[in-house]
Amino acid sequence: MASACVDDFGPPIAGPSFVVRARGAPDDDDFPIGDDFIGGGRQAIIPQDLAEETPFQQLIRHWMNERHAPDILPGQEMLLGRLLDHIRKQTSDVELLRADPDSSEEEHFRIMLVQTEVERVKFVIRSYVRTRLHKIEKYAKFISVNPEIHEKLSKAELDHARRYARLVDYHFNQSVLQSLPEQQRSAEENVPFMPPMTAEPDKLRPVFAHALQDCPPMRLPDGTMSEMQKGQIVLVPYYVVEHLLLRGEVELV
Amino acid sequence: MALPPSLRTSITPLELELVASEQLVEIVPLVSMERTAFISGAYGPLRPPTKCKVPLWMASNLKLKKKCHMVPPAWLNVDFLQERLLRETTDPGFSEMPFRFAEVAKILLDVAPDDLQNPDRIRMLLKDIREARQAKSREGLSKLDHNELMLPNLCAMEINEIRPFFVRGMNVLTHLTREPVPVDAMDQM
Repeated sequence: MASACVDDFGPPIAGPSFVVRARGAPDDDDFPIGDDFIGGGRQAIIPQDLAEETPFQQLIRHWMNERHAPDILPGQEMLLGRLLDHIRKQTSDVELLRADPDSSEEEHFRIMLVQTEVERVKFVIRSYVRTRLHKIEKYAKFISVNPEIHEKLSKAELDHARRYARLVDYHFNQSVLQSLPEQQRSAEENVPFMPPMTAEPDKLRPVFAHALQDCPPMRLPDGTMSEMQKGQIVLVPYYVVEHLLLRGEVELV
Repeated sequence: MALPPSLRTSITPLELELVASEQLVEIVPLVSMERTAFISGAYGPLRPPTKCKVPLWMASNLKLKKKCHMVPPAWLNVDFLQERLLRETTDPGFSEMPFRFAEVAKILLDVAPDDLQNPDRIRMLLKDIREARQAKSREGLSKLDHNELMLPNLCAMEINEIRPFFVRGMNVLTHLTREPVPVDAMDQM
């Protein structure tokens, strides 16, 4: 994942504002839609590979990963910040253009397209954040007692997890636990043959992993090693591909 | 505000469609538009009748307003699909299809049937291919164990379709074959 984070510091992809860029269009050609869209040496009729990932495509990939992974993945704050800035810029440009009574029909039309895209990006951002929120609330207790997970969360997310865990604890205490005999009050006891009382991410849950590149060998549950070539799709328990997912070598589909 | 329960177990086909709409397609614009910067990059300029590549969501938006014709991808025609169907029905393996073919084909058939040649026939062929592949993926269930399952050439929509059942099945197998707890550890409990 380290390399992905570094990429996040790169220059913003779509220059100043869409209006400014559009005016200087012929010269401002720094983001061509590659002719390699059809995908390098592969059978040209089936384009499976897309060119370089744009920030929005990165977000879509992280969103899909987050939706399918049983565990919480490292938050993509840099990426989110960048996209939110971009949304803000596009929205303010749209408002400026709207306020201009002289804008032509073509401009109205462009405004509509830009707004449509902004809504699409917003939808994905919202769904991404809500997916994380769901996991945070589900595993609130587990997160608040396991410091190693904290670095995967943003500050706001961590605060929320702690507050939520406290509230749930308080509620359990007030409504039931305090009226039980002393030795049955703990919410952390491990009864043999019963699932643990604190909900934990189930890393045994199988996921569908799609190799984005040739991957180093991974150890399967029965101890054998297996290698994935680029483009392969495999159904394995989550913990088998976890390290590959964190390094961005596979995506979940 | 957390994710609604209906979306927690899996992604929905509509969401897959949203993801697929980010792919680029060719259009023949009927209106002109200057090059415009979007969040996912700059597209245009549109100069009828020059072909131009734009994301699928933009193409369908333009198409719905009758401002462009869509150029179907090279695989979305009767000849290619007929050949694929033949392969699907004679070869035991899955043949290679674009990863999001189902979503893209659906959008094009919904929005721009008039830009396709013989859309009804295409629809039938896609349905036949889908059923042939579905039968194979169901057969694949017998190969499921607690270890891994290779799924060569399976596509996004098909994975989503088999997901709930395969994940449950593999989960059960995992729990059945998990390392038994050593005896003395049992004594201590």
